[in-house]
Amino acid sequence: MKALGIDIGSLTTKAVILCDGILASSIIPSGDEADLSARAAVEDVLNRAGLSLNDDLYIVSTGVGGKSVSLSQQSKAIATCLARGSHYLYPSVRMAIDIGAESSTVIKVNERGRLNDWVNQDKCAAGTGIFLQQMAKLMMMPLEEMSKLSLQAKSRADITSTCAVFAESEVISHVHREPPTPKEEIIAGIYFSVVSRIISLCKRIGIEQDVAAIGGVVLNRGLVKILEEELGFGVLVPEAPQLVAALGAAVIAQENIEKGFS
Amino acid sequence: MISSEKRSDKINAIIRACRIITRMNQANPEALRSETLYYQMLANYYTRLLNAREEGRFVAAHTVFFPSEILYAMDIVPMHTETTTWMMALFLGEQAEILSAGAELGLVPEICSPHRGLAGAFSLGALPHPDAMLWSNLICDNTAKSGELIMELNDCPGFFLDHPFQRSEAEEKYLIGELEDMIHFLKEKSGRKMDWDKLSEIVARMDRQIELFREINELRKSVPSPFGIRGYLQLLTVDYLCPGQPEAIEYLETLRQELAEMVREGKGAVSTERFRLMTLFVPPMYLIGSLDKLEQEYGAVSVVEPLFTRWAEGRLNPSQPLESVVKKSAMIPERRSMYGPLGEPALQDIIDCAEQYKVDGAVYWAFMGCRHTCATVRLFKDILNERDVPMLTVDCDIVDPTINSEEEIRGKLEQFFEMLEDR
Repeated sequence: MKALGIDIGSLTTKAVILCDGILASSIIPSGDEADLSARAAVEDVLNRAGLSLNDDLYIVSTGVGGKSVSLSQQSKAIATCLARGSHYLYPSVRMAIDIGAESSTVIKVNERGRLNDWVNQDKCAAGTGIFLQQMAKLMMMPLEEMSKLSLQAKSRADITSTCAVFAESEVISHVHREPPTPKEEIIAGIYFSVVSRIISLCKRIGIEQDVAAIGGVVLNRGLVKILEEELGFGVLVPEAPQLVAALGAAVIAQENIEKGFS
Repeated sequence: MISSEKRSDKINAIIRACRIITRMNQANPEALRSETLYYQMLANYYTRLLNAREEGRFVAAHTVFFPSEILYAMDIVPMHTETTTWMMALFLGEQAEILSAGAELGLVPEICSPHRGLAGAFSLGALPHPDAMLWSNLICDNTAKSGELIMELNDCPGFFLDHPFQRSEAEEKYLIGELEDMIHFLKEKSGRKMDWDKLSEIVARMDRQIELFREINELRKSVPSPFGIRGYLQLLTVDYLCPGQPEAIEYLETLRQELAEMVREGKGAVSTERFRLMTLFVPPMYLIGSLDKLEQEYGAVSVVEPLFTRWAEGRLNPSQPLESVVKKSAMIPERRSMYGPLGEPALQDIIDCAEQYKVDGAVYWAFMGCRHTCATVRLFKDILNERDVPMLTVDCDIVDPTINSEEEIRGKLEQFFEMLEDR
C-alpha cells in the first residue's frame, strides 16, 4: 500500500507519494472546487509515479477544503501535517514558519514530529504570498527578479503600514519620490514588512531552534535572508518548501498504513 | 421620543424565546428539570422588568458585578445591562443593530462589545428606560466609563459605586460607606426603604448559592464530567441576574441533584468524553449552538472555568448583611484574576484547577474588548505549558460576530482537538 498526501492550497494543490522516501510529487494550480483540484493532483502524482487509482493507496488530505476530498480516507488539519512534514525532513526542527499564499502559520514541533503549539494569521493579506504578488506587480518585475535584486540592498526602505493596501501606497510613494528610493531597498523594505509580522507570530508562541522556513513564499531567497537576519540565526529551507504539508499528510497516511488502517 | 411599545419589543422577544424553550423542555421527557427552571427564571426576570413601569415600580439599571442584592432588598426592579445585551445576542441574534447604534455614539470596535451594544440598545430605545443607573469599577474597567454614558443617554440620575483594588479592614469599611451612600441615593430617588430583614434573607440564600456553586464544581471533577459549556454560561447568568433569589436556589439545587445522579451513574455531558478542557474567559455567545455541537462531536467538555466559576473561600453572615455584601464582592470568582494585581494565588489557582480537574487542554477566549484580562494570556499559557497542558488562544469577540467567522473558530478548535489527540 502506498501513502499519498494531498494539500489543497488557495493557489496550488500539492500531492506527495511516500514509499521508502518521496516517490513522486505534484504541484498544480487549484481550481474552484477542492475535490476536483485534489483529484487532478492525485492523478498527476500517480502518473509521475507510474501508478493509478486502481493501486492500493491510503490517502490523507489537508488544507482548504481538505475535508471535502472524496478520494481521501482521512482529513487532517494543516498544522498537524506541517509538523509531521517538517519533522520528516528535519528531525531536529522545533519550530516551522509556513508562509503560504493567503495565510502564515508558525508551529512548534516536538521530538516525535507532533504539533506542540501553533499560531496563524489569516485575517489580512500582509505577511502572505498574495501581498508579495501584489508588490511584484507594482514593482513591474517577476517575484524571482525581486528576490535576486533584494540581495543587493544595503538598507531597507520604511514600509510602516500594517495593512497590505496602505503598504501599496507607501511603495508607490517610494517609487515616485525624487530621487526615487532604489528598487532593491524598496523590495527589502517590502520583505521586512512581511518578516516583521512573521516574527511577531513566532514570539507569540516562543522561538525555539532549529527553525525551518516552509511554504511557497520561502522560495524567495531575499525574504529568507531578511528572516534570518531578524531571527539572528539561520533557518532550514527544504528544496521544495511548498510540499511540506502534503508530505506531512503522506507521513500520516504511512503511519496509518503501519497501524493497519485501510 | 421613543414609544414605550418599542422599548418593550426586545425584552418581549427574550421572554417569548424563554417561554418557547421552557415549553419545549416541558414537553421533552429527556430534558433536565434544571433547564426548564433556568428558562423560567429568565422569563420571570424579564417579565418583572417589562411590567415594572405599569406596576409603578422603580427600575434600576446596573452593570456587571454590581451588588443587586441591595436592589432586591429594597424591592427595586434590577436590569442587568451587560447580560441583557448578551441575551439579545443569544436569543434574538440582533447584535448588528445595537452594535451599529453603539458605533453611532462613537464607540469603536476595540471597546467591549457588550458595552457598545448596551449603549446602542439604550440609544435605540430597545431597553426599558431606567429610573436610575448604577455602576461600579469592580473588575470591569469598561463599566466604570460606560455607566456614565448610559446615565446620560437615559437622562436619569446615577450612582457610581467605587470599589477599592485591595482588601483590608480600612477598604472594607470604605466600601460599606459606599453601599450606605448608594442605599441613601436609592431611598431618595425611589422612595423605597431598605428592608434589612429581607437583605439578611437574601444574604443567607446567597451563602447557600455559593455553596451550591462549589458543590457543582466538585461534581464536575468527576470523569466523565456531567456538565458542559452551555451550563457554564447558565451559571454565570444565575448569579448575575438573581443573586440570593429563591428561584436561583431552586435551579441550583435541582441542577446539583441532577449532576450528582449523573455522576453516580457514570454519565457525562457527552456520550464519550475525550478531552477535558479548562475554559478561560467566555466563549462567543452567538456561537453557543455550534460549541454545543463541537462538544458532542469531539467529546470535548469544559470542566472548569477558573476566571468565572471558582468562588473564593469564605462564608456570608446574614446577621451582618451589608458586611456580607462587601465580603461577597471579594469572593467573586472574576475578582481573583481580573481585578487589581494578579498575584501568586491567582496563578496557583490555574495550576490547581488543571490538576484537580484533570485538564487535557485549555482554551483562552481572548476577548479583544477586555484588554486587562487578555494581558494574562501569556502568563496563563506559560504556567499551563510548564505542566504539559497546551493552551489555545482564540482572539475573538463575545457578542460581535463580525470579528470571527464560525468556520474560523471551528477550524481552530478542531486543530486543537487534533493536537490533543495526537500528543
